[in-house]
Amino acid sequence: MGLVQSLIRFKERIRVKYEEYLVTTIEILVSAIIGFSIGALILYVLGFDPAKIYSILFTKGLSNPNYLLSKSTPIMLTGLAFAIPMLAGVFNIGGEGQLYIGALVSLVVVTSTHNPILGILSGMIAGAALGTFKAILKVYRGVNEVIAAIMLNWVMYFLTLYLLTEKLYNPKIPHESIPVPEDARLGKIPTPLGDIRLIFFIAVIASLIVYYILYYTNVGYLLRVAGLSPQTAKYAGFNPNIAVIYSMALGGAMAGLGGALLLIGYVYSIDTTMSTLYGLGFMGIGVALLGRNNPIGIIFSAIFFSMLIIGGEMIELLAGAPPELADTLTGVIVIALALPYTYRMLISYMRIRRMMKE
Amino acid sequence: MIEDIISLTSNTLIYMVPLVLAGVGEIITERSGVVNIGLEGIFVLSSFTATIITFATGNPYLGLFSGVIIGLLAGVLHGFISVYLRGDQIIAGVGFNTLAYGISIMGLVTIWKQHGASPSVNKIPMISLRIRGGLTFTISPLSIVAILIAIGAWYWLFKTTSGLKLRACGEDPKSAEAMGVNVFRTRFYATVIGGILTGLGGAYLTVGWIGQFTRHISAGRGFIALANVAFSNWNPLMAIVGGMIFGFFDVLSIYLPIKIQLIYPEVKVTTLAYLFKTIPYIGTLAVVSLIIGRARVPRALGKPYIKE
Repeated sequence: MGLVQSLIRFKERIRVKYEEYLVTTIEILVSAIIGFSIGALILYVLGFDPAKIYSILFTKGLSNPNYLLSKSTPIMLTGLAFAIPMLAGVFNIGGEGQLYIGALVSLVVVTSTHNPILGILSGMIAGAALGTFKAILKVYRGVNEVIAAIMLNWVMYFLTLYLLTEKLYNPKIPHESIPVPEDARLGKIPTPLGDIRLIFFIAVIASLIVYYILYYTNVGYLLRVAGLSPQTAKYAGFNPNIAVIYSMALGGAMAGLGGALLLIGYVYSIDTTMSTLYGLGFMGIGVALLGRNNPIGIIFSAIFFSMLIIGGEMIELLAGAPPELADTLTGVIVIALALPYTYRMLISYMRIRRMMKE
Repeated sequence: MIEDIISLTSNTLIYMVPLVLAGVGEIITERSGVVNIGLEGIFVLSSFTATIITFATGNPYLGLFSGVIIGLLAGVLHGFISVYLRGDQIIAGVGFNTLAYGISIMGLVTIWKQHGASPSVNKIPMISLRIRGGLTFTISPLSIVAILIAIGAWYWLFKTTSGLKLRACGEDPKSAEAMGVNVFRTRFYATVIGGILTGLGGAYLTVGWIGQFTRHISAGRGFIALANVAFSNWNPLMAIVGGMIFGFFDVLSIYLPIKIQLIYPEVKVTTLAYLFKTIPYIGTLAVVSLIIGRARVPRALGKPYIKE
């Protein structure tokens, strides 16, 4: 009964929102095309063959499903960490720091308890606490969340470096942290695509739960109303500040989960230069924007960005091109995604021309 | 003791330059109603460009100039997106930061085959003032330039008609338009000027101060400059004070571990230094959360102007 009704509602929504979906699709495609074109230009200027680099990027990026999906897990969750507050009108670019603290706290908990579930939960709580702290600074002290997020990202970066090199290093391998105990590691599960890491499925389930919370619960409704119009939320008797705090807590929990899963289910230890963690939070911003802040869209968008990351590693190995191509492409795509008005104008322009012809 | 005070003061004046320049630039941009959080990206890209040009020509002033050009171009890009295309200013800024980092590191790896830092390049010489007792007080010529620019910007914004028109675009663009001000053009130029000053600050990072490009050369300074804008209450004169405060935190993060090492030689400072590096960020956050409550944001900040 409930399912049939949901399906009918879903179909209705698609009909009503046809226009919206059309614009979204065009936005995503045009942004990706602009991104790859400008990326090609930069590669050409730096003296590489763009066609060769891109063919490596796509073929190698997609060749190993397990690698692709494993790498998509943390950025899917930092994508959610950006998207949830965004829907409530808050700009959370602190996914980076929240991921660090999630990984760090889960490492401490899992090595002392040997329990992966406790490790994951503690990582989520740590991320949520950091998110809530930023929300409180914003709501009660009027601190711009962008500034607070970047400051805390750097504090977390140096704090993590300090703890890794001073307290949590592996005496046998000094450039690595103590590893997650063998009995607490999450492994792979067999699927038709080969063995896939469990953490990917956990991240997908988390995305679906977030989707449910945002679109089918009162809390989600509160968040979205507060994001669209804080004034309306006030008239309706909601407190928009509560929405800010909830969304930042939930977003932070997702980034913390990303850090914990990466550690417990994939890398098992952090290197003391932090290259295993660096940049995953920022990548999440691109993931969320390309997925149009929709948790289902973010699943696919994360896989796309995972391909960029892996492709970046491969072009370094095979063509000697720098892996930061992934950052460059992300940057251009994000800038192109900041222009919804332009795409709308483009569509209405095309429509008027078609009408003129008729 | 006196030596410490002199060295802390002169270093503060050296460290504050990018924060003051970018802060003043961003104040001009935000007073016109556009917010550009891509300061970090401009810092990275212009310091990288300045390094290349100085490396190739050996002339740090040419490097400084190339950084200004990069800032100008970044300002044109952001101005075009925010003013004429009515794009989302925050998202465009975040995208620019990622793009600038990506391009710069790609360039670093391609040109010098290095993943961490470029070779050292020539620097703009510092000015040494001799004071009593054989002590010298060292500052960069850019420290003076930055202070003069801030004073000039204050005079322009608050004492001239064109400054008033610019502020009107950020407070109430409809009324500004009714008064005959071209809101689009004013906002566009204000964004470009902001980019130019930020580009100058970014180029200073390498050719005026550090002497080489490194992966984390900016390390959040673009965002500390943004914090400086809010701290200064959108007043260029206060941005000098803010630059000194935030610059001082930065000086402390380097100075304290060195001092501790001198006093307690047995302490292992290398790893402890990571903890001291958090000082500028914690300090900035503390100042911002204790003081900003009373700040008054330009009313139309970040909202695209739509002509009727």
